[in-house]
Amino acid sequence: MNRVSQNLLLLVVAGMLLKVSLLSETYVNYVKPGFRPMIIAAGVVMAALALAGLLGAWRNAPRADNDQGDHGPDHGHDHGHGPRVAWLMAVPVFALTLVAPPALGAFAVQREERPPPPKVSDYRNLGGAGVTPLAVGEFIGRAYGRSLVGKRVKLTGFVVKSSRTGQWYVARMQMSCCAADAIALKVAVRGASAPKEDTWVEVTGTWIPWKGGKVPNGFVAPGLTASDVKEIDQPAEPYE
Amino acid sequence: MTQRATDDWLSEDDRLPPDSWGRRKSAGPRLPWAIILLITALVAGRFLLTPHLTAPALRTWATIFVAVCLQALPFLVFGVVLSAAITAFVPPSFWTKALPRQPYAAVPIAGAAGAVLPGCECASVPVASGLMSRGVAPAAALAFLLASPAINPVVLVATAVAFPGNPAMVVARFVASLTVAVLAGWAWARFGRPEWLRVRTHTAAPGQSKWGSFVEAMRHDLLHAGGFLVVGGLTAATLNVMVPRSWLTSVGELPVLSVLVLGLLAVLLSICSEADAFVAASMTAFSPTAKLAFLVVGPMVDLKLIALQAGTFGRAFAWRFVPLTFTLAIAVSFAAGWVLL
Repeated sequence: MNRVSQNLLLLVVAGMLLKVSLLSETYVNYVKPGFRPMIIAAGVVMAALALAGLLGAWRNAPRADNDQGDHGPDHGHDHGHGPRVAWLMAVPVFALTLVAPPALGAFAVQREERPPPPKVSDYRNLGGAGVTPLAVGEFIGRAYGRSLVGKRVKLTGFVVKSSRTGQWYVARMQMSCCAADAIALKVAVRGASAPKEDTWVEVTGTWIPWKGGKVPNGFVAPGLTASDVKEIDQPAEPYE
Repeated sequence: MTQRATDDWLSEDDRLPPDSWGRRKSAGPRLPWAIILLITALVAGRFLLTPHLTAPALRTWATIFVAVCLQALPFLVFGVVLSAAITAFVPPSFWTKALPRQPYAAVPIAGAAGAVLPGCECASVPVASGLMSRGVAPAAALAFLLASPAINPVVLVATAVAFPGNPAMVVARFVASLTVAVLAGWAWARFGRPEWLRVRTHTAAPGQSKWGSFVEAMRHDLLHAGGFLVVGGLTAATLNVMVPRSWLTSVGELPVLSVLVLGLLAVLLSICSEADAFVAASMTAFSPTAKLAFLVVGPMVDLKLIALQAGTFGRAFAWRFVPLTFTLAIAVSFAAGWVLL
């Protein structure tokens, strides 16, 4: 791997970082929105390093050829095969360009068979008669705390099929850092026909109280009787 | 294909200034062929392969793989910059003054110093390597390597947020992680041999300025560690998609086994140390000790870290150091869980 290749490779990777974070907002499919400035900074540092290296290689071209040859700064290191591993840095670029992976969807939800029971927190009181938009996670938490009786709420998520007839799930992935740590949140929807899987929807409806009024022990997806299902575009932040 | 290859050839050509172009030609072929091929493959693949790469499993895998890389790269760049700055600007005499000469005494101090580097495990590997190349005793640098991703303020605050009303978990994490780091450092000081450890020696070329060697060290480390980060990301994403979590939670009820299983899960998932507390908190089927093991093992031993360590310090090092750390982390988690949780 000669110096020009090293720097061009860095430039390609820097280009990928800047493309997903600065020139578009695709990074929200993979990491928390708060990561944006850090990804941009990393891209800028790498690009600067690559450009400085290319400039240096151009200026010192004759000297570099005579003194160092192809090995450049690695000459004399005890890991001659080392820099070859750097080519792997192109793999994420390929994954992003060729697969263009979307935010985690129904496949990831179904893979996780038994989600953890939710933490019940103290929620504020829901407003009066109108429709209240709620995060899927908050809806589940409230369902376990039983503070949802009679309230009309609106949930935003994507469609996941259910093995039980007459219902489907509206789901959302919750992530704390990046997609590798995402957890699935889902609410069973009844009283409406299921749109195509992975479609983003806004579901308006009311909570179905637990059978016999008893909060279940393990995790059971709480139910919602839908009065209205509206297909929407993927929200700006696909994760909760 | 040929037409496209020619186009790329020309566009690459444009980047090279004409005068050096002539010289290079006379000195032999100097075109970055591999890069030209790579960009051609990207462009061609975009048109030919993308319509076929839509299987949900593949897309989920790619999402997780790209996520691991995107999240780790900024930390890696940060660590590499810091490491290069240590190598280029901090004179070796500083470290001999700051740390005791005796490695046994230097280990706990270096471990505790890990508390000031806010970042995750990807940043600490290049920094530890930079410290070693500046003459810091390897045992002390290793204690720093293990401690810093687990006990820095950002990670501790994240742990406190993930376990609300349970400050014992934060205390246990801090104490257990620092203990493992110090024990591993001492073990290395006592039993480690220099030939197992590859220490990078960046000697500035004659006439090279401080800035020159700073930039050179940065480029070298970034290319090197970046490649190994991708190895770790590939493995972690593959296991993340292939091993169902329910398969692991089914052993949650068995007390001793569950600690081992969560320790192993921390290795496989390779979650950033700033996020692992949230994942641990969500595993309600497990005992607090098992969750603690997850939090102690994760920042010290995981797949991307093993790849990074093997790449930076050599395989002979990784074979010995990784099992040592894992065993210590599990043992200390048991002890700390017993006393504190």
